[in-house]
Amino acid sequence: MHPLNWVIVVGWLAYVVVHGIRRSTGTKKIEGYFLANRSLPWWAVGLSVMATQLSAVTMIGTTGQGATDGMRFVQFYFGLPLAMVILGVTLVPFLHGSGVYTAYEFLERRFDAKTRSLTAFLFLVSRAMSCGAIISAPAVVFSAIFGWSIAWSVAIIGVPAVLYTMVGGVQAVTWVDVKQMMLIVTAIVAVSITLLVQIPVSPSDALHIAGAAGRLRVFDFSFSLTNTYTFWSGVIGGTFLMLSYFGTDQSQVQRYLAAKSVDEARSSLLISAYWKIPLQALVLLIGVLVFVFYQFERPPLLFNPAHERLVRKEQPALYGVLESKYNAGLVARDVAARAVAQARHGGRGTDEASAMQTYRAQAAGVDSVRTEALSLAERVSGQPSRDVNYIIPRYVLDHLPIGLAGIFIAAVIAAAMNAISGELNSLSTASVIDFYRRWVRREASDEHFLMVSRIATGFWGIFACVVATYAVNLGSLIEVVNRFGSFFYGSILGVFLLAMIPRARASGAFLGLLAGMTVVGVVNFGAPSVAFLWHNVIGAVTVVLVGAIISAFGAPRVD
Amino acid sequence: MSGETNGSRRFRRTLASVMFVQIVTLCALWFLQWRYSA
Repeated sequence: MHPLNWVIVVGWLAYVVVHGIRRSTGTKKIEGYFLANRSLPWWAVGLSVMATQLSAVTMIGTTGQGATDGMRFVQFYFGLPLAMVILGVTLVPFLHGSGVYTAYEFLERRFDAKTRSLTAFLFLVSRAMSCGAIISAPAVVFSAIFGWSIAWSVAIIGVPAVLYTMVGGVQAVTWVDVKQMMLIVTAIVAVSITLLVQIPVSPSDALHIAGAAGRLRVFDFSFSLTNTYTFWSGVIGGTFLMLSYFGTDQSQVQRYLAAKSVDEARSSLLISAYWKIPLQALVLLIGVLVFVFYQFERPPLLFNPAHERLVRKEQPALYGVLESKYNAGLVARDVAARAVAQARHGGRGTDEASAMQTYRAQAAGVDSVRTEALSLAERVSGQPSRDVNYIIPRYVLDHLPIGLAGIFIAAVIAAAMNAISGELNSLSTASVIDFYRRWVRREASDEHFLMVSRIATGFWGIFACVVATYAVNLGSLIEVVNRFGSFFYGSILGVFLLAMIPRARASGAFLGLLAGMTVVGVVNFGAPSVAFLWHNVIGAVTVVLVGAIISAFGAPRVD
Repeated sequence: MSGETNGSRRFRRTLASVMFVQIVTLCALWFLQWRYSA
């Protein structure tokens, strides 16, 4: 990469660390450290909420998905605006008004200590592991592209984020998130414009080519429990998932608990409702445009440079044959793509349909050679190829102008830091408030709790970095943990829904939670084809039903 | 609505604009599919 790009990346990292630490004013007490003394403006909280859920996976994985699979992933977010509105009028006033530090603390006030401790424990386990996965995904890509060791890649992302989160608490996290969101949006818009300039046909022709390759299919109205990306799974399953995530996950709840008032807290959530679908559509569209760009520019046979080097070394003859077939196919596909644009301008529908058909046939030929190369890479390396994650980084490094490539790489690191800083802050809060202050030491000075909170942030930061460093070998374990996470996400939402039913009792909540997780576990192993978005619906509904029935037959509530 | 706070007014206004933006976005995505994926 050009030295100017490195100057931009290093300059940005230094800037966010200094900015975060300078923003740590007012964190002499625990309420300032965890909740910024409930003083943050709604727009800053809203941007921080968006930044926490926009990770490096969005920047490189989702764009790659746009290039290979098209726009249909956007349906996943169709439930988000509805979920934000529901939370704005239900859970947010409950949580903000009750003056708690964590969502789980609210559950003890409403139910009992064991329900609080179980939900907080489940949060700690799942978030700590996912924090490692969030660092690991871009670290693996950087390692393959720049030739760094995994540990060095993890350190570049993890150390600055841990540093400013440890020192500055939620203030540093929020204000750094605001700045980093600006960088990320600038990078996304700048790359979109650059792509439109670089593609040698008009934007309309480019979209026709993308459409012919099936990349612009957005809506799938089929009702299927096994297909993750349909309109209905997005609207119904997505609404439950987003309700769970934004309403009960401390990494999100803590952001809006730091807002000045209930009104500011719920207004902050509407920023996500406002921008999430357009932003996600734009991110996917970048992938689609990169796909079109590579119809006219020679794409590498394997985007992962580490796999490319390895296969070239281990199987030079076989790879050479595949490359020859690939190059011939690319020439034919380029001619066919240009013929589509020409036929459109000729104005004869029959010519256009025939050009489209030829283009599709040539594209299918190129795809089949790539599939052969990917399975060869998997055989030689003994690892899944995950080539989709390397499409955008390779485009950025090979084709973006000097300066813009640096901005994009800085934005990827920024996205990873945003996601982990919010999560580290919330992991520290749950550890200190829900366990240390609840079970170990109830009374102590603010200075003591502040010191313990900083140590907890540092501990979770190191834990996440260690998980990320060894995540390449722990791949299946992380998958197990994520799968385990889907067992209880909807169930925890069910407990919060139950909390809003006046007749609900503590025994109903706790047993309902166990029943919800069990039913989702049974569905997961008994019917593994059911898409995970539906697990949230099943879990939440089971908890509410079981909890309500047990409460109805249990002892009356004593307040 | 005399008892309504500034925050509540902003929430209602933002809510209306959220709905508007989502409808426009879904229409744009629908147009993209209808116009170019046929």
